[in-house]
Amino acid sequence: MKKTVVSSVFVALLVLSGCGDKDPQVEATDSAATKEVASTRAAVETVSSNNNNTSAVSDSAESSSEAMARLEKELKTIYFDFDKFNVRADMQANLSADAGVVNTKASKYFVKLEGNCDEWGSDEYNFALGLKRADTVKKALVAEGVDANRISMVSFGESSPTCTDKTKECWAQNRRVDFKLLP
Amino acid sequence: MKIIISILLIIASLFANDATIDVVKKADSLPGIAVEDSSISYDQTFRGKFFKALVADLNVLSIFNVDRNYRTVAYDASSVSVENKDINYVLRYKLSEDNNRALNVEIKLISKDNIVFSKNYKVNSSDIYMFVSHTIAFDINEFMGEASVEWMKRKVIFSKMISPQKSELVISDYTLTYQHVIVKGGFNVFPKWANKEQSAFYYSSLDDKKPTLKYVDTKTGKSQVVKSSDGMMICSDVNEDGTKLLLTMAPKGQPDIYLYDVNTKNTKMLTNYGGIDVGGQFLGKDNVVFVSDRLGYPNIFSLNMNSGSVEQVVHYGKSNAACSVFGKYIVYKARETSDSFGNNTFNLHLVSTETDSIRRLTAVGVNEFPRFSVDGDAIIFIKNYQSQSSIGIIRLNHNKNYLFPLKSGKIQAMDW
Repeated sequence: MKKTVVSSVFVALLVLSGCGDKDPQVEATDSAATKEVASTRAAVETVSSNNNNTSAVSDSAESSSEAMARLEKELKTIYFDFDKFNVRADMQANLSADAGVVNTKASKYFVKLEGNCDEWGSDEYNFALGLKRADTVKKALVAEGVDANRISMVSFGESSPTCTDKTKECWAQNRRVDFKLLP
Repeated sequence: MKIIISILLIIASLFANDATIDVVKKADSLPGIAVEDSSISYDQTFRGKFFKALVADLNVLSIFNVDRNYRTVAYDASSVSVENKDINYVLRYKLSEDNNRALNVEIKLISKDNIVFSKNYKVNSSDIYMFVSHTIAFDINEFMGEASVEWMKRKVIFSKMISPQKSELVISDYTLTYQHVIVKGGFNVFPKWANKEQSAFYYSSLDDKKPTLKYVDTKTGKSQVVKSSDGMMICSDVNEDGTKLLLTMAPKGQPDIYLYDVNTKNTKMLTNYGGIDVGGQFLGKDNVVFVSDRLGYPNIFSLNMNSGSVEQVVHYGKSNAACSVFGKYIVYKARETSDSFGNNTFNLHLVSTETDSIRRLTAVGVNEFPRFSVDGDAIIFIKNYQSQSSIGIIRLNHNKNYLFPLKSGKIQAMDW
């Protein structure tokens, strides 16, 4: 579990009072400001306590995590062409090998397919393209006998690049679907 | 002859208020304005920052030729500095810090040695000086009788990628000068204001097993889960009163648009095409404009929520993947090149649902995520060009664009 801290917004503390020459000035309300600062601290503390619980859980699941990490390395990434979500001919062998691992050594785990895109666009359409890539891989796995209920999907759009150089090789590496195993 | 003149006048009036027509104003015809500093508190660094912010804001108003020379003069001096005596307007300001460390700003607008406008401002911390600057510019604009620039005082919320699968949600002013990280840590994207008051927002969390839509109250910092979906879960738009949301979800791996009722928590599926349907935007009460690849490439369509009929609304461009709607206007992002092995250009275009004219709003780089201001006066967008991410402002009626760069990281998405 990743740590997320939500703080109340400081900009809410500002009391901006514009007034004409003859109008009385509106004073900043210190009590309101104090209240909001206090609530910020409360929010941060709450999240911190959640984080402690998470670390306790992760200790007991350590061996399972190692096994999953080892198997994940055996699962091959599927790459795609620019603006496409169909599986390329040269990726069919990888996909069959992945289905074999998922059906045998990793059969007790759930599979999460992570769809990714290159940097050309950060909008919803790019996320949808990543998802369609994951969905194509899911359908191929199901066709090879993997139970559809074991598979979940997510799209990261362009936000999870493995390579950040401005080269064609780099962009090609980012148009992909990665496999993650879940207990 | 009278008939010809009458016809010409009628044609001119038809296009007078059409924002898709380029408006080119000669800079020379704008009145000049200079800024004079009369501050009695704060060091020269802070005074300089305030001066620059004010000059930038006056510039964005697009109604003045702004003199960028920094000059000081006593606040009560009866005439403007010698260098400014031929300039139409002089804006003189005085910064002073009171016993509570609050920032006080007095301004007066001088024209031909007469004070034509004056006002005082106060904020409880000098750290948020830029909001005073924006408000001063707003008030000067109102005084000059120009169309409102209410958007100048609004806050921008954006997601900033700091590394793969790591982002921050940041609240800022429209120039990115003020920045407050409101959600730190994790992988959170697509923030969207939940109401007109900007007191709460939605965002998509990608840290959980399923993409999850969360709601955060900015005053309390409290976060709550709204809904989860396999594949995708994004809040694309919020209606006028904040009671209805347009969501992009993919519970079965198929991205479609859904209508979500905030009060009843009911969800209604609006599209069911087998390809990609995303980015729904409310168009009035009955229609939704959205992005779909139903013609084999991404383009902009409208859906009538009552009849279910779908209509193509943009007929130019072969890859139009994002849009924003205000009244009869649609601004959309079009890919100008489709080079899989080189730098691609994405430009913003403006179309009207009532005419066939198209206006290109940007020229170079990757311009995306267009969002109309609440009053339709301006468009805010993300520009990624030569490894730098910026927020851009387009003043439609003044035909001017302004860029405010982000010092580090890449802006993923934003709302205004």
